[in-house]
Amino acid sequence: MNSMNSIYENLKSKFNILGVDYPDDMQMAIDLDEKDIHTVIVYLKSIGYTQLSMLTCVDWIKEGVFQLVYIVFNWDNGIHILVRTKLDRENPKFRTIVEIYPGAQFYERDVHEFFGVEFEGNEISYKNLFLELWDDMPPMRKDFDPQKYSDEKYAAREYKSKFISEVGGEK
Amino acid sequence: MKEVKLFLGPQHPGMHGNYSVHMYVDGDIIKKAYPLPGMLHRGFEKLMERRLWMGNIALIPRICVVEPDINEMVYAMGIEKLGNIEVPERAHWIRMIILELARIAIHLMSFGGIGGPTGLYTASYWSIADRDLILDIFEKITGARVYHMYIVAGGVRKDLPEGIEEEIIGLLDYLEKRLPEYEELILKNPIIHARLKDNILLPEEVVWELGVTGIGMRSAVDKEYDIRKVKPYARYDQVEFDVPFGPYSDAYTRVSYKPIEIRQSIRIIRQSLEKMPKEGPVRVKISTGSALRWTVPAGMVYPVIESARGEYGYLMVSDGSEMPYRIAVRGASYPQGLLGVEKYLPGHRIDDASLWMDTMGVCAPEIDR
Repeated sequence: MNSMNSIYENLKSKFNILGVDYPDDMQMAIDLDEKDIHTVIVYLKSIGYTQLSMLTCVDWIKEGVFQLVYIVFNWDNGIHILVRTKLDRENPKFRTIVEIYPGAQFYERDVHEFFGVEFEGNEISYKNLFLELWDDMPPMRKDFDPQKYSDEKYAAREYKSKFISEVGGEK
Repeated sequence: MKEVKLFLGPQHPGMHGNYSVHMYVDGDIIKKAYPLPGMLHRGFEKLMERRLWMGNIALIPRICVVEPDINEMVYAMGIEKLGNIEVPERAHWIRMIILELARIAIHLMSFGGIGGPTGLYTASYWSIADRDLILDIFEKITGARVYHMYIVAGGVRKDLPEGIEEEIIGLLDYLEKRLPEYEELILKNPIIHARLKDNILLPEEVVWELGVTGIGMRSAVDKEYDIRKVKPYARYDQVEFDVPFGPYSDAYTRVSYKPIEIRQSIRIIRQSLEKMPKEGPVRVKISTGSALRWTVPAGMVYPVIESARGEYGYLMVSDGSEMPYRIAVRGASYPQGLLGVEKYLPGHRIDDASLWMDTMGVCAPEIDR
């Protein structure tokens, strides 16, 4: 915990950190303004956080924001840092970090596909990866209703026999 | 020269899972490669948001088909961390036994993966047969062969059945006897040497560029980078084991680490059986009120463990309700399976593509989710 505090003090002396949280023994989550993300990530990479474990997004629909979460990892001290920022949900645009962590390319593509966040500078992220011929809003958004989509898209199927009653269950 | 477009997968014997790579080939050299995932996309992350915390336990093992237990462990660790739940001592050791048995099972399965593309089918038959013996043990402990749903938040579902310790030790003795035979069959085989030695290299720069973890990383960077060592979970800090590592990573090195890891897993299981408390509770009740509709306090956590392919974690977000707010899966083969295929598969021969997939450790279901 002491090492975590010293990391936090170090970061706080250099950058404008909006909030901090310690979800686990070897984990720290920091909240930043979106304009600071790139400088903080470059700095973290230079002090040993050489691995980008994950980049993902959380849809906070009530607040009207998307929260991007960059998880970087230092293998030498075993500390994960969750770098978080919030984007406007109406017009989610951000800049890529592919130049810092090349491995982010497909994570950005993933986030674009499932949440609709655009990453400027990563042209390939605009292409669909998992969902072929998708024609609705990005599906991981909270206001996407899979049941409604399924009802509109596919014909309803009628079952001729009732399985449960046949095997002697619910009558 | 003329380029030909070739589809490797999704129905290809050398491809692991329903995964596809579009390749442009010149002769038998791959010039360009594009990964095409999505054929196993089942929308798990969305589904989990619409199921109870309890109900998800049936869903998550399916995320990685060949190694389901890691999912249960990560999920349970996340809930315990968010809810501040203390797991009983005996449950920690049982979890370790299960996880290490699962690690042996997947390493044996990957010998089968080597057997297919090299034409060494004996390896496939032997290893799949031996893996079944582990599945028998799982069946006795958990009631299921592949998807166990055994590691749950708060401990494990039920205690070990009586007399299983002897059976596990018997199996470990048998596997220890079998391992030299595997090494004889696979690692000393001229076919394997011709196909795997100095082929499919993974330099250190590429490891950092892609974010590869697990055996691939350890064999390239010459350091003990294993989550079990770097940030121990369960009771890995109380057992002695070694992790193989080295400075030169070709396909052969990566395969040769697997028997070593199996030996170390056997060591861990033996120590666990010895050190674990012989009796005591294995599960704490976390339900308050209704048995299924329990809630998890709000928060965000990233529990992480070492799978057979590397760092495996979930980003778990709870808003304090009965269902998860968001769960994002960090599959261990995401970096090498997507960007790795696109950037570093070109330059290899067509018949090495399946070997590339196997020795890099690409598991399609955890990429697609």
